[in-house]
Parts: sequence; C-alpha cells; structure tokens
Amino acid sequence: MEKNKITMISIIGIICVILVAVMFAQFKTVEETDITGIETAREEELQMMLSSWKTKYEEVEEKLIDTQQKITDYREKLTSNEQTSELLDKELEQINILVGKTNVTGQGVIITLKNNEEKTIEASDLRTLINELKLAGAEAISINDKRILNMTEIVDVNGIILINEDRIVSPYIVKAIGDQTYLSSALSLKTSGFIDSYQKLGKTVEMTKENKISILAYNSKKNQLQLKYAKEVQE
Amino acid sequence: MDKKKIAITLGIVCLVLTISICVQINTVKNANSTVAQSFTENSLRDEVLKWKEKYDNILNQLDNSEKQLSKIREEATKNDTTASNKEEQITLNSNLLGITDLEGQGVEIILRDDPNATRETIGVLDDISYHIIHDADLRYIVNELKNAGAEAISINGQRIVNPTAITCIGNVIKVNDEKITSAFTIKAIGLSESLAGIDRPGSYVELLRENGIEVTIKKSSKVKISKYTGAISAKYMNLQK
Repeated sequence: MEKNKITMISIIGIICVILVAVMFAQFKTVEETDITGIETAREEELQMMLSSWKTKYEEVEEKLIDTQQKITDYREKLTSNEQTSELLDKELEQINILVGKTNVTGQGVIITLKNNEEKTIEASDLRTLINELKLAGAEAISINDKRILNMTEIVDVNGIILINEDRIVSPYIVKAIGDQTYLSSALSLKTSGFIDSYQKLGKTVEMTKENKISILAYNSKKNQLQLKYAKEVQE
Repeated sequence: MDKKKIAITLGIVCLVLTISICVQINTVKNANSTVAQSFTENSLRDEVLKWKEKYDNILNQLDNSEKQLSKIREEATKNDTTASNKEEQITLNSNLLGITDLEGQGVEIILRDDPNATRETIGVLDDISYHIIHDADLRYIVNELKNAGAEAISINGQRIVNPTAITCIGNVIKVNDEKITSAFTIKAIGLSESLAGIDRPGSYVELLRENGIEVTIKKSSKVKISKYTGAISAKYMNLQK
C-alpha cells in the first residue's frame, strides 16, 4: 500500500515536470512564430530595395553606354580632324532638355488648384504637390507656365505667391510630365493621397491625365540660370 | 479504489500531455516556416548587397567616363570658338544640373532633434513630434535657401537636383530615395550673407529653436557640395520641336 502511494506520487511528479517542460518549450516557439509578421514585412522591404537598386543600376548603365559612345565619337573626330559641331549640338541639346532650358512634351498629368469662397491655395500647398510629383517620378513640372527647377523657390509674400520672384494667381495649373499611370495613382491614393487629403480640407483640386502635355522652357528674367558663386571643383 | 484513482489520474495526465504535444507540433510546423522565411530573407539580403555593389561599381565607371568625356570634349573644341562656346555651355549645364562637384562661399546648417525632449520633460500638453525634425522642416529650409539665392544645395551629402523629393516613410527621412538621419547637415552655395539671413527674428529657423531643435548656421568662404550620385534621365519628356 505504502509502496503504491509513493509510485503514484512520483509518477505524477515526473509527468508534471514533463508537462511544464513541454509548456515552456511551447511558449518559446510561440514567441518565435510571433515574429513572422515582421519577417514577412522585411521580406517585402527587401524586395523593394532589390528592385530599386536594379532600376538605379540600369539607369546608370544606360548613361554609361551613352557616355562611352560619345567618347568614341569625339576620339574619331579628333583623329580624322573633322568638325565636332554635330556631336556638340546633340550633347548640348540633351543636357538642355535635362536642365529645363527647352520646351518639352510628353505624357503626364495636369492638376488644377483654385481658390474658392472659403479656402485659398497657399505656396506651401504648391510646394507639397511639387514634392509629391517628384517622388512619383515627374521629369518636368511647371506652374502657370513657370518651370520648376532644382533651385526654384515657391514663396508667399503678403498673401501673393511668387515663383522665381514672378507673381502667379489662381487658378494654378500644375503640369507634370512623367509616367502617367504612376503620377496619377500616387496623387489619388485614398485618404493619404494629395487630391483626397486636400479636397477633405475643403480646397478645390482637380486632376486630369493627358497623353500630350507641353511644358515651356525656364524663362525667368529675374533669376537667370547662371552660377555666380559656385565653381566646379578642379582636381 | 486506489487503483481506480491512479488509473483515472494517469489517464487525464496522458490526455493533457497528448494535447500539449499536438499543439506543440502544430506550432513547430509554423516555426519551421519562420526558418524558411529567414532563409529566403538572407538570400534576398545577399542579393540586395550584390546589386548595391554592382551599382557602386558602375557608378564609378560612369564617373570616370564622364571625366574622360569632358576632357576629350575640351580637347576637340579648343581650336574653334563656336565649338568651345558650346563646350562651355555644356559645362555650365552640368554644373546647374548637379552632376558635378561645386565649391564656393555659402553656409553650412546643422539641425539636431531636441536633445532634452523626453516623455517626462515635455509633459502631457506638448507633443513630442514638435521636438523632432521632419521632412517638411527640411523642405521649408531648402525653399528658404533657394529664395535667398542658393546656387547648389545638399542635405547630408544628397544633392538637390531636379527630380529630388524630400519625404518620410514612417520615421525615416529620405532624400533622393536614400535614408538620412539626424543630425542633418544642409550645405548651400551662394552669397553667404544672404543665405545666413534665413536665421532672422520671426523666421522658420527661430520657430524650430523655440521647439528645442538645435540649429547652427555657419558662414563659410568655401563650401564644397558633392554631385548627385545617380543618373538623371529623360524617359518621358521629349524636345518640343
């Protein structure tokens, strides 16, 4: 009888120990599996990083091939003593387009912002929009035919909006050339997108997709494209 | 009687054990997928690193080719005035575009998040986000610098070029799609007196200081701004003839 009791107690004791051990092991595993959510998110982020590096690589590769071609062309002209003007003109034209010194056309979107009875469009609204457009890959942007370049400011002075010291008034027509689908979907995201969030604030904002937009060259008289203080670093 | 009790107890314990083990096996199955997940993740990470290295290499190559091109262009045009005129324009355009290193007088601005801002020090009525620098703050200051006549600007080494966007994703600020963190160093080339004028009574800089953000502006006779690292291309815009 006594023996039986001892065996019973010890068996139950052992089983309890095993049970507790199993439970601990389980807790640990559960903790680990909980991270799965983050792990998958990370994988998505990694995928995005990967595709972004690939795109950047391809862009640079294209540019490299182009540059090397130009070097070869110049070299040929040099050895044969031919005129380089054609080559130069082509190069100048390409870089003029990139800087913003030429009229350009292409697909894109047109966003119209208007003052209404209650809400006025401010310079900061336009700046936010420009930033969003650039993020979505806009290659050329203008507001009321004033071209927006890297050093172009948009400011409020006593309630008047100035771009490169030129006054602009409502309605503000913002033109952007770039991937039409990408630009329009970036701006029209539900709630967080520019259009939705500004309409919710009571501002008048409309967007149309266009297959052919013309954007004028930079034409500010007051702020010419020159460098007075900056010099290229010579090695 | 005792025997019955023992049998029942053992039975219950066995049942509990079995259920526990079953549950555990199920969880372990999930855990296994975690291992698989991190496996693909690791290989993805390797892949990302590999492409970044490839990118760095090709960027270096482009760098060298561009230097070579500008040298050979100069050589090819030196005996012809119209040609050398065009060559100068191309150089000016490269400088304007942001694909060359520039130097000149200007300012260096350093912005730091409020070092004293903790949940305790700012109390419940204040919002901690006011004590942190946001993408909008950087955009504002960059716009002020442009207005003050800046000819070139960079933030933490990222050159402001035509396609530059300054944004944030979560609490990470991105410029040119590259992550940057506080402290932020904004460099600008231009008339240094005028650029330093963005720090004046009632200015945005002062507003930032009121919120505990540290802003220092240093005028300098020689600010060096690195070029944009990447390619600026025209895929969608074409010359209008």
